This record gives sequence, structure tokens and C-alpha cells, in this order.
Amino acid sequence: MSTRSRLLQHAIPLIKTHGFTREALARSVLVLPSPEAHPEPLSETAISALFGHGDLARRTLIRAWLDGGVQKIQAAPPGSTMKQVLRARLELNEPVLQHLPEAFALLASPNSGLPPLDPRPAFQHATKVADEACYATGDASLQLAWFARRASLAAIYSTAELHQLTSPKTAYAFLDSLLDSSSSLKSTLDEVNLFSSYFVKSWAGILKSSGVF
Amino acid sequence: MLSFRRYASTSRSLPSEMYTNPLHSGEPAVSTTPTSITAAQRNALDAALRIDQAGEIAANWIYHGQHFVLGRDPHTGPLIQEMWDQEKKHLLVMDKLQLQHRIRPTILTEVAKVAGFGLGAVTALMGKEAAMACTEAVETVIGEHYDDQLREMESLPHDHPSVPLLKDVVREFRDDELEHLDTAVENYSQRAPAHALLSSVIGAGCKVAIELCKRV
Repeated sequence: MSTRSRLLQHAIPLIKTHGFTREALARSVLVLPSPEAHPEPLSETAISALFGHGDLARRTLIRAWLDGGVQKIQAAPPGSTMKQVLRARLELNEPVLQHLPEAFALLASPNSGLPPLDPRPAFQHATKVADEACYATGDASLQLAWFARRASLAAIYSTAELHQLTSPKTAYAFLDSLLDSSSSLKSTLDEVNLFSSYFVKSWAGILKSSGVF
Repeated sequence: MLSFRRYASTSRSLPSEMYTNPLHSGEPAVSTTPTSITAAQRNALDAALRIDQAGEIAANWIYHGQHFVLGRDPHTGPLIQEMWDQEKKHLLVMDKLQLQHRIRPTILTEVAKVAGFGLGAVTALMGKEAAMACTEAVETVIGEHYDDQLREMESLPHDHPSVPLLKDVVREFRDDELEHLDTAVENYSQRAPAHALLSSVIGAGCKVAIELCKRV
């Protein structure tokens, strides 16, 4: 593991107290195992050299924290349900909840200033969580259902995460209710689809038996 | 080439059986994906399997369309059914490969189904020979495409058990597609009206579809 990655790993537990800041990155060297631990935090020059200038270093830390969330999903025990996996991911937000609005705002603000809001990082975060959760739970969706499953889970997770920012205690029940609604909607759509396929097959049979072909 | 094709199609244990036989479902070759490959190799693998899956979906629906029109023909019906059954197996394996290697499918699957069914039905309505000309054109492009893929896959690391198996499966499918091509030619595909024009148009359409599926 490179020095940069190691320092990022050690900075993640400091987010709780220092937020997604350059300060957290600077202090990462203090918590290195001895004898590597430094007596003083990293200098601004060192942080810029390792993680980027200005807010770029903060973005690097946010991305490292998000990657940690992905790894948590990947480490879900075999046989985990979707509810368990997404709940575990929401739990990971809890220690840093007060810093998350600022972190997401920073990710959504583009480097160049135009356009005023960049929704892609938020979209990528939600779709990555959905994709990893599908993989962790052994989801076997194919073709268009692959997209539908991930899109619905990304929307559910994003909504639950936004809810968590304002009401952390009710977020889990809210997530469960969204997942339950999604399951019942899916089963309804599956039934409509099944009926439609019978309808199409019936007409195909009628057309064939009429001697047109 | 012909002798190899015959061997591949009659051999007792085909590579695809690793996917179709549930006894092998837990083996690393059919349940894991290489993690030590570069981003470029991963993208190439993604694109390759996405195209293959979309191709098999389209092929299924082409034969579906042909069978819808010519299914009751005593000679051509069973011929189309036989090729269609093989394509169903190919699609089953491709679906498993999609899940194994975590491939994003193409978003154009529904387009592939409609276009495939339409192409199959329209050429079948033009006659048996035109249906066979369609098969000949499609399988020529797909066979060449699988050949290109086999060359590209040489760059993948062979120390992961899924890679040699993937190559064997692609080789098996290429041989199946070339057998379909032979069947089409043996059944007078080249007597179809405007055969050259039909082949060129369908071949060009397949190449466009491959490029589209590679990207979306």
C-alpha cells in the first residue's frame, strides 16, 4: 500500500472529530503505528503534494471515505439481504453525519465553477452503492431488469440517505418501507408483464392458426 | 477448420457445459472473475461480453422471427428450431458470464429483440432462401467477431481459471455460429433474391449494432 493510501486510511477515523478537512489529513501521521508516527501534523505543503491543492485534498478524503463504504458492502457476510446491506451502509454514515452535508455539497460543486451544480458525483455514489449491494446479495437481474433494479435501489438509497441527514433515527424504518414498496411494485409489474406475454402469445397463436403465415 | 468444427460440436464435454451443468456451479472458473487485470483489460472484457450477450439476444430473436413465419415448413422449420435451440444455450451461458464477470449489459437489449425479430420475420416472409441468406450474413459477422475477440483475449492473464474457460467457450460458440453459416449455405442461401445486397445490408447492420453495444 502506498504512503498516500495509508495516510488516507488513518485519516478516515479522524473525520468524526475533524470533518472532511485538510486538518484530518494533516493529523493522519500522528496516528501511524510507532515508530512511523510523526510528532507533528503534516505541513500544508506536504498535504498539497500528497493529496492535492485546496479543496482537492478534501475531495480525495471524501472519495477515500466513500470507497471505504463500498468495501464495507463488499465485506457483507454471505446470505445477507438487501435490507441488511443497505442498513449497514447507512450505519457507516452515522459517526460523520454532521459533516456529510458539507461533503456532498463539496462533491457537487464543480472545479471550474460551471455548471453551478454537478450532480454526477452524487449519482455515481448512489449507483455504486446499488451495484455493490446487488453483487453482495447475489442479485441475478439480467438485461433491462439489471438497469431497473440498480436504478430503483440507487433512488431508494439516495432518498434514505437524504432522510438520514435530517432524521437519523427514523432513517432505517424509512429505508425498510421504501424497499418493501419497491418489492410490491415489482411483483405487480411482473404480473402485468406475465399477463402481457400471455396476451401476445394468444394473438400470435390466433394469427398462425388463421393461416396468414 | 471444418474438421475442428466437427470435433468441437461432437466432443463429449463442451466448455459451455461448465456453465450449463449445475454440478460445476461452485467452481472458481465459473464463479469468479480475475481481479488482477488492468483497467484497460477490464474495459475490454466488459465490452466483449456485453457485445456477445447482445448478439446472442438478437440471434435468438432472429430465429424466433424466422420460426414464427417458417415454423410449419416441414424442412426449414426443424432446421431453424435446431439453430434456435443452440442460440438459447449460448444466451444462457452469456447470461451466466455477465453475472460472473459483473458486466453491465447493453441498454439496447429491447431494441435488439425487436430488431432481431423484425429481421428474422421479414427475411422469412421473403422466402426460405432469404431467411437462410439472413442467417448466412449474421453468422459470418458473428463468427468473425468471435475470432477477433479470441485474439484480443490473448492479452488476458491465463493464471485465473476463468480466462482459459472463457476462451474455450468463445471458441465453441464461434464454431457453432460457423456451423449455422454452413447450414444456411447448404440450404441455398445464395439463391435468395438480391443475395449480395441483402448480405451487405444485414452485415453492415450487424457491425453497427456491435459498435453501439460496445459503447452503450
